Amino acid sequence: MSHVVVLGAGVSGHTAAAFLRKWLGREHTVTVVSPKDTYNWIPSNIWVGVGHMRREQVVFPLRPVYERAGIEFVQGAARAVHPEGDAQDATPFVMVEPSARPGTREKVRYDYLVNATGPQLRFDRTPGLGPHGGHSYSVCTEDHAVEASRALDESVARMQRGERQQFVVGVGHGTCTCEGAAFEYIVNLEFTLRARGVRDKADITWLTNEYELGDFGMGGMHFRTGGYVQPSSAFNASLFAERGIKWVTRAHPREVEPSRVHYETVDGVTDSLPFDFAMLLPPFSGVGLEAFDRDGQDITARLFQPNSFMTVDADYTAKAYDAWSPQDWPRTYQSPAYRNVFAAGIAFAPPHAISKPYTTPSGALVAPAPPRTGMPSAMIGKAVAHSIVDMIRGANGPTHMASMAEMGAACVASAGASVLRGTAASMTVFPIIPDFERYPDYGRDLDRTFGEIGLAGHWIKLILHHLFLYKARLRPGWSLIPE
Amino acid sequence: MPPDVTEHVAKPTPRTVFLRTFIPWQLWRFLLINLRMLGIIRASHK
Ligand SMILES: Cc1cc2nc3c(=O)[nH]c(=O)nc-3n(C[C@H](O)[C@H](O)[C@H](O)COP(=O)(O)OP(=O)(O)OC[C@H]3O[C@@H](n4cnc5c(N)ncnc54)[C@H](O)[C@@H]3O)c2cc1C
Repeated sequence: MSHVVVLGAGVSGHTAAAFLRKWLGREHTVTVVSPKDTYNWIPSNIWVGVGHMRREQVVFPLRPVYERAGIEFVQGAARAVHPEGDAQDATPFVMVEPSARPGTREKVRYDYLVNATGPQLRFDRTPGLGPHGGHSYSVCTEDHAVEASRALDESVARMQRGERQQFVVGVGHGTCTCEGAAFEYIVNLEFTLRARGVRDKADITWLTNEYELGDFGMGGMHFRTGGYVQPSSAFNASLFAERGIKWVTRAHPREVEPSRVHYETVDGVTDSLPFDFAMLLPPFSGVGLEAFDRDGQDITARLFQPNSFMTVDADYTAKAYDAWSPQDWPRTYQSPAYRNVFAAGIAFAPPHAISKPYTTPSGALVAPAPPRTGMPSAMIGKAVAHSIVDMIRGANGPTHMASMAEMGAACVASAGASVLRGTAASMTVFPIIPDFERYPDYGRDLDRTFGEIGLAGHWIKLILHHLFLYKARLRPGWSLIPE
Repeated sequence: MPPDVTEHVAKPTPRTVFLRTFIPWQLWRFLLINLRMLGIIRASHK
């Protein structure tokens, strides 16, 4: 009998746990450890943040789902991994801080471990950033999105009374990732202001660390349109121009004051933007797990990179940007230090940036971090689950691969939510990590990389919202729905 | 404030904007986009 423990109940961890349970016999145990007993379909937080959806529409309780499926659930945050057990018992364990008893610790033993703890939201990296005592809003969690939506309502009320309002949306630090989410938020915000009849009272500005618009931390994309091969920068710029959204690119926001964000750019500009409402995403790091060996010695550096994301089977050798290759990216997500430890989704450490990193004249890094969106996160979770099942059945090592250099991603970025008047940018990219050896011109297969804006995209986004929530609830036939 | 960065970019023609929410055209696009996405999913699950 084996005990598989999954840390995190997000896209990646929940997918891994569900497939582990489906494929493993009942003599084996699957346990999920997560600080919240709810599941949040994060992509739809955008719609909560503009008041289009309620919190309850993007969140559901996990306990009944896990009870039905036969998955054990421990509500708490993992704090440390002990991959060699301790002096008394060599069975590995995770030290968990139970949510009901903060400050205490509980051992959860494992035979196989999947770290799918996602990101830590590092609002602390920029003074004044974020909703926890700072001056900007976020949509990274369902509760952040509710707060953003309330503040937006206040701004709308002011505009209805005739006041002008300044909106700034984008990133809160030069090393942020997930620009795509902020992009969705800004176009949804603009759409909402139009729908509420106050667009003429709003100035909206996009503040980004991307070198060019449409970079999304993946070095941009190219699409075939109208007889040209166009960069995604043209695609995004066109949408912003059409919507009357201004932009500042190549920026590192340095400080957020109550109604002003200060930034510097790669080009040496030091300036600030006034705002009445700002939604600025934080940079991410790993969640700060520690690791100890049998004797209690700190071995965190053996399991994790300095940014606290987990070291897996990638090539982390420091190289110049031009020297990296798609083969540097991980395939099995197994820890090189312990064969029974894996990382999935945002929790694994990417080997290097996809977008070219820059610095400002004062030395601040402006380097969009590689995104790990829903589709790859779920696919990695599933591949890791498959490998663990095979290893439990006797395989020598991981049997399933899910390299981001060999998979594509389909992404639908909402640009306004309405069944008849809404739009969304439907995008696919293949592969996620550009491969200039296979695709010398653009790094990607242009037959499989495309982007288009329209109502059809909104329908797809809405269907995906319901489909993925259905799947996450593990309703009949859930495993037939692709990741 | 940043200078007017929106001035020098391609903007959609009224026809393009119209087609983006013109239901018969969008039903067709819906089909095509779904097929494209299924292609990506298939290629990625190899
Ligand atoms: C606003 C927003 C919009 C987005 N929109 C899209 C989109 O449209 N399409 C798309 O593909 N992707 C989108 N993404 C990205 C997508 O949400 C991520 O790719 C995905 O959530 C990553 O999954 P994950 O499981 O790695 O991390 P998460 O989903 O963040 O899950 C991490 C889990 O770990 C838990 N956890 C945290 N700390 C601990 C701990 N110490 N111990 C145990 N558990 C812990 C968390 O509570 C959570 O359950 C969006 C992201 C954001 C923020």
